[in-house]
Amino acid sequence: MANAGILRALLISLQPTNLLGCFIGVVVGTLVGVLPGLGPAAAMALVLPMTFRLGPTAGLIMLAGIYYGAMYGGSTTSILVNVPGEPASVVTCLEGYRMARRGRAGAALAVAAIGSFVAGTLSVVALQFFAPVLAHAALAFGPAEYFALTVLGVVVLSILTGKSHTKSLFMMAIGLMLSTVGMDPLGGVGRFTFGFTSAQGGLSFIAITAGLFGVAEVLSLMAEGDNRVEMVEVKFRELYPNRDEFKRSLPPMLRGGVLGFLVGLIPGPAATIASFVSYGVERRFSKFKEEFGKGAIEGVAGPESANNAAVGGAMVPLLSLGLPFTPATAVLLGGMLLHGVTPGPLLLRDHPEIFWGVIGSFYVGNMMLLILNLPLVGIFASILKVPSKYLMPSVLVLCILGAYGDNTNLFDVWVMLGAGVVGYLMRKSDYEPAPLVVGLVLGPVMERSLRQTLIISQGEIGGLWESTISIILLLGALVAAVMSIVLPYFRNRESLR
Amino acid sequence: MNAHKEVITSIILALFGISYLIYNSVYPLGTLANPGPAVFPLVVGLLTVILIAWQLFQKGIQLKFKGEKAKREPIRFSEALKKEQKPFLMVVILIIYLVAVSWIGFLTSTFLLVVISSKLMGARDWVRPVGLGFGVMLFCYFLFEVWLKLSLPTGFLI
Repeated sequence: MANAGILRALLISLQPTNLLGCFIGVVVGTLVGVLPGLGPAAAMALVLPMTFRLGPTAGLIMLAGIYYGAMYGGSTTSILVNVPGEPASVVTCLEGYRMARRGRAGAALAVAAIGSFVAGTLSVVALQFFAPVLAHAALAFGPAEYFALTVLGVVVLSILTGKSHTKSLFMMAIGLMLSTVGMDPLGGVGRFTFGFTSAQGGLSFIAITAGLFGVAEVLSLMAEGDNRVEMVEVKFRELYPNRDEFKRSLPPMLRGGVLGFLVGLIPGPAATIASFVSYGVERRFSKFKEEFGKGAIEGVAGPESANNAAVGGAMVPLLSLGLPFTPATAVLLGGMLLHGVTPGPLLLRDHPEIFWGVIGSFYVGNMMLLILNLPLVGIFASILKVPSKYLMPSVLVLCILGAYGDNTNLFDVWVMLGAGVVGYLMRKSDYEPAPLVVGLVLGPVMERSLRQTLIISQGEIGGLWESTISIILLLGALVAAVMSIVLPYFRNRESLR
Repeated sequence: MNAHKEVITSIILALFGISYLIYNSVYPLGTLANPGPAVFPLVVGLLTVILIAWQLFQKGIQLKFKGEKAKREPIRFSEALKKEQKPFLMVVILIIYLVAVSWIGFLTSTFLLVVISSKLMGARDWVRPVGLGFGVMLFCYFLFEVWLKLSLPTGFLI
């Protein structure tokens, strides 16, 4: 069964159009990973209109390629210029840049790429086994269980994102509020549309993502000015770790792979958390503790492997339950819905070519990234040399195209601009946009399952916690929420005294 | 961010939450056995307002304890305003752009947007912004009109 699955996955992903989608995805992903600020979620949202032409399978393969490609690209700038391209690569700066300063930039880059490949492949194998099993189990899920699961996801995600849990919860709540704009999911009543017919279908997810991440980034950069970076030079012949470095890197790669996949299953910024957890583990268990902070190769191999494996883990709830718990998987869900594909337990039955195609593309994409990233690392990193006065106007136009292309109407571009201004103000006030985006996607699922549960239970609120699964999930959410609010309060009081 | 700013942000969010709840009252609540379209927004709106109240309570305590220290922190308005000048201008340009799109057409207004925003971001010459503008214009044309077969808004120009 599993072998047939692997073969099928590979056969689908090796079809020319899918291969092309995968190639575009990993190249765009690597470039996005290199650029600080513009994360994979925004880039995926910007290229969503292109997926119409490629078709659902190739289009979704391209989007997935951007997601894991960004993890590869992020390490390049962390190592060469001490600037993390995306949050999951922040920790790579700690050891990677120091290795580069010691003249081992090539080895660090190679270990990051090989680690990402090894862990990425491990996570795909796990994804391939877990996703169908979970999808099968999820067939037993009713609306009450879905409601409980979304509540747990919302709470855990807000706890794990940003500096303040309360602020993250706010953002999530605002995302849920925005999700109520448009037709209500059961009765078809238009809500909060203020007479705009374009808002009847709800606020464009792409427009909001492009605004919150893309336009806000452009505005922030304008406020901060152009910060040029100095890059450590790396030659092609230096791109080989020596035997000792390779031997030391292998166990962290494997540990990072397993750890990353498991962290990826938890709602939240999985890749970032996975890389930090892996760094902590390596630092604690390394035989070369004294080298940490001075350029320990384990500190590059572990986190870089973990953040890539987390991508595979984060795909499990999306493909098997239809629930995205990260902004990037939320965009992927948006892409699926645009093509009339509903992810969840029935995806494997109704659209096996998409299910296996996306999984297979991870194998192919990881291979492409390894081949592309090692020899072309200098080219990818050179994008940082393009001054923002030329790069950012192009990003701005991409945001406009992404928002306009969703429904081909200018209303969405206005929404994008509004979201951009709000996103910019949010950044200044330390509010994270990620929970808002996830709230926006989870909102309709949450509302539908809540109302369906109440209808099924004939108005009995107890219907929400009738099954054991629901009780466990809701209790988990309650404990997490209470702890996240009460603990900082007592900590604050202590520190003030 | 200092506690005063946090309080102001919380108040703005509270106003948003309350307005949302007030506007939601026009939709039917239904019954528990057959919940209407107002139920979910009501739950979410109430949750938001409660969270904001909690945040305000926390910040109120912080201000009470740190009040004296906060008073001593000087606020350099002129510096802050200078920093916000460019983003503010960019937003104004984007508003003008969106109005102009349906009047003069997508491609021409996008070309102008690229040139102006590039200059605003510090481009000293005209050649490169104009070249970039043309490049972006061609990209938009080929992506939408040729590849995706989607029409871009047109005005008295293209």
